[in-house]
Amino acid sequence: MLEVSGLWKQFAGKPALEDVSFSVKKGEIYGLLGHNGAGKSTTLGIILGMVEPQKGGVKIGGFDVGRERAKALRKVGAIFESPAFYEYLSGWENLRILTSYSEGFDAAAAREVVERVGLTKRIGSKVRTYSHGMRQRLALAQALLPEPEVLLLDEPTDGLDPEGIHWFREFILSLRRERGMTVLFNSHLLGEVEIMCDRVAILREGRRIHEGSVRELSSDVPVFNVELDPWDRALSVVAAHGGEVLERGKVSLPPDADPAVLVAALVASGIAVRALTPVRKSLEDFYLELRRNGTPDPHALDR
Amino acid sequence: MIFYEQLRGELRKLFARPRTYMGYVAFLALEALILFVYKLDGAQRASRTMLEQNGLDFDTFYSSLSISFMMILLSMFTLGSIFFALVGGDIVAKENEDGNLRLVFARPITRLRLLLVKYSAVALYTFTFVMFVGITGYLMAGAAVGFPGGLFVFEPKMKIFSAFPNWADGITRLGMGAVGIGISMITLSSIAFMFSCLRIKPAAATIVTLAILFVDMILQNFPFFKPYEEYFVTYRMSSWLFLLEKHIDWPKIAESYIILGGLNATLFIIGWLAFQTRDFKT
Repeated sequence: MLEVSGLWKQFAGKPALEDVSFSVKKGEIYGLLGHNGAGKSTTLGIILGMVEPQKGGVKIGGFDVGRERAKALRKVGAIFESPAFYEYLSGWENLRILTSYSEGFDAAAAREVVERVGLTKRIGSKVRTYSHGMRQRLALAQALLPEPEVLLLDEPTDGLDPEGIHWFREFILSLRRERGMTVLFNSHLLGEVEIMCDRVAILREGRRIHEGSVRELSSDVPVFNVELDPWDRALSVVAAHGGEVLERGKVSLPPDADPAVLVAALVASGIAVRALTPVRKSLEDFYLELRRNGTPDPHALDR
Repeated sequence: MIFYEQLRGELRKLFARPRTYMGYVAFLALEALILFVYKLDGAQRASRTMLEQNGLDFDTFYSSLSISFMMILLSMFTLGSIFFALVGGDIVAKENEDGNLRLVFARPITRLRLLLVKYSAVALYTFTFVMFVGITGYLMAGAAVGFPGGLFVFEPKMKIFSAFPNWADGITRLGMGAVGIGISMITLSSIAFMFSCLRIKPAAATIVTLAILFVDMILQNFPFFKPYEEYFVTYRMSSWLFLLEKHIDWPKIAESYIILGGLNATLFIIGWLAFQTRDFKT
């Protein structure tokens, strides 16, 4: 559905993207993960034809964005972090103006979408009076008009409160369930991508350093923060269950080990288990792991 | 039909901003000021002297038509130039600065089409605004001095001196003149529009446009440049005044408007080429 091949882009002589490729299948939610400046937004800009790549290209639904942008984007909706609407107009007028740049405004379809995103009561108010969450709902509404098959989301949950994040996430997942929507999801949050995406590509300094299923991100050795008393006696019990002490208060277990069994053994040995919390990997941890596992540093050759 | 819908949206954006109405209010205030000056005894005496020295009847030519002509003449190249440079300079650059273009570019509209819509909106806005100034000027002057009377036109720089004692002739000529200046002012908006398409701030687009206009106007008034006056944009933009001559020199007027039309097209193309090759980072 979406094919990104060999993108190269420089801004003022500085590389922003270097040979970035990936493809998203129909109905798939694909994550593009990376820190700020990793090249995620530039990639999205190229997909939408806002940024001209030096090399490479993008196809959406078989149409080349460089040559047939209008056809390629006909079934695309996009949401950006902090979407900038016309503040002095109402939400409804914003929808009307933005959809006029596609196939024209269909009031009935717009009402339905507004209802679905939960903005009916405030759609007639000026956007300047909207909260961040309401703006994001309006962004979602405009992206869904007229009926897209591909959604491009650029850090859409940034700045939302936990309730808003949950709502947004469930909404996108429901779109995939109901309409088989294809989604490209840009984020710098590993946890977010884990929940939302089927596959993920990790960008770092303009290069794709990893691509795979989301399961791969979390399928290796589980690590736990623990509070065990007495610590010295606990070490032998952890070792007996195949565990490894990484540092004081942090242990790893074999991938197939059940932490409940270890807890039971510790308690049976008279060791107080005050805490056992799984450690969630950060994007940085994942980068470091990739490096440890032999994935080359993208700029190793530059040094 | 879609183009109409897009144009409607563009005009809606223009008219939804409070500062647009501030422009209208500013013009009404300027018209009221000009009218006030015309009603002063000293101004009336000076008008009477000038008219009578030229063998014209004061009661016929001290009229709503003559006063509204002066309103158009005085307001357009002063307040009008600032206002149109502001609107034209904002139309693309402000949306880029505010980040609105990101959402627009997520749509399948081409950049050329987007600029055509925006340019059409600016041109339409400019033209209708001049009409607004002409009509309100005439109505205000009519309310102050009465609607009957002829049209007296005196513009020494362009060597225009005409008198139309008949009201119907006068209003026809004033109407033609208003249409003419409406079209002329589109060139000013086109200059601002072109700068607005470049990678500059909206205020910079406005300031550069005004700088060009005023330098052009000042140089055109230098005696040294008198033989070359036809090469100045402001001279061509003043060609609407020829529509108020007793005998209209249509070829001279057509030449100027063809040149202005060509200039507008060139400015649009330059703006489009600059806009087309720009990257818009999200």
